[in-house]
Amino acid sequence: MQVSATASVGQLVPGGLGYLRPPAEIELAAYGVDLRGLRVADIGAGEGRLALGAARRADRVLAIDPDRSALARGRAEAKRLGMRNITFREGAAQSLELADGSFEVAILSWTL
Amino acid sequence: MVDALEEARRILVDGGVLVDARPDSRVAARVRSGGARGTIIGTIGTQRETKTDDQLSDRAVRDVLRRGLFRSRRRGRIWHAIPFEDRSELQDYLGDHLRFSRRVSWRVPAAKRDGRLVVERAVRFEILERR
Repeated sequence: MQVSATASVGQLVPGGLGYLRPPAEIELAAYGVDLRGLRVADIGAGEGRLALGAARRADRVLAIDPDRSALARGRAEAKRLGMRNITFREGAAQSLELADGSFEVAILSWTL
Repeated sequence: MVDALEEARRILVDGGVLVDARPDSRVAARVRSGGARGTIIGTIGTQRETKTDDQLSDRAVRDVLRRGLFRSRRRGRIWHAIPFEDRSELQDYLGDHLRFSRRVSWRVPAAKRDGRLVVERAVRFEILERR
């Protein structure tokens, strides 16, 4: 798995009102993990801000969150964007109903 | 929190990576005047309860590293810039915020706090490889 040794440490990333977290693509690039062709689980995904960004590069993305309304907003956004490689599923980080060894990348962003 | 890390490890393939990213309450957010290159004119701390939660999260990560469930591949910090039209807008934002302190610790007199402001908040991240 490709993890950059130097990507964006200490970088200043833009935000904006309505974007109280960094834009997904910029945040993911800062972490330096190349998601191309990988299976990604975004645990505690909320409405999928980061998951939708990850889905632009990953093979497929599963966005997991206990908040049904947030998941519904994420699904609607994925549909609006025409993204077919992202799935939204209700679940809790402490008990994921997923098979062992089924993802190359797991994301806990603002979750722990 | 350890439960969540253990579950994340379980669904990862060998050598898979876990991205842990969180606001960094170890450093205060910076308030700049004007824009992203403006002078730092204040700082914003973190609410005490939130700091305690963050310390528990840190402890959970240390625990899974110590137990050899993951190894740390890389860690770092990015700064997220959030613009505000003026001090009043920033104060409204802080009034509703669950993490930040309610008040700015200003470094300059009130007369020098007018105009656009940018808050830079630290986000820490660590890339953990499943072992």
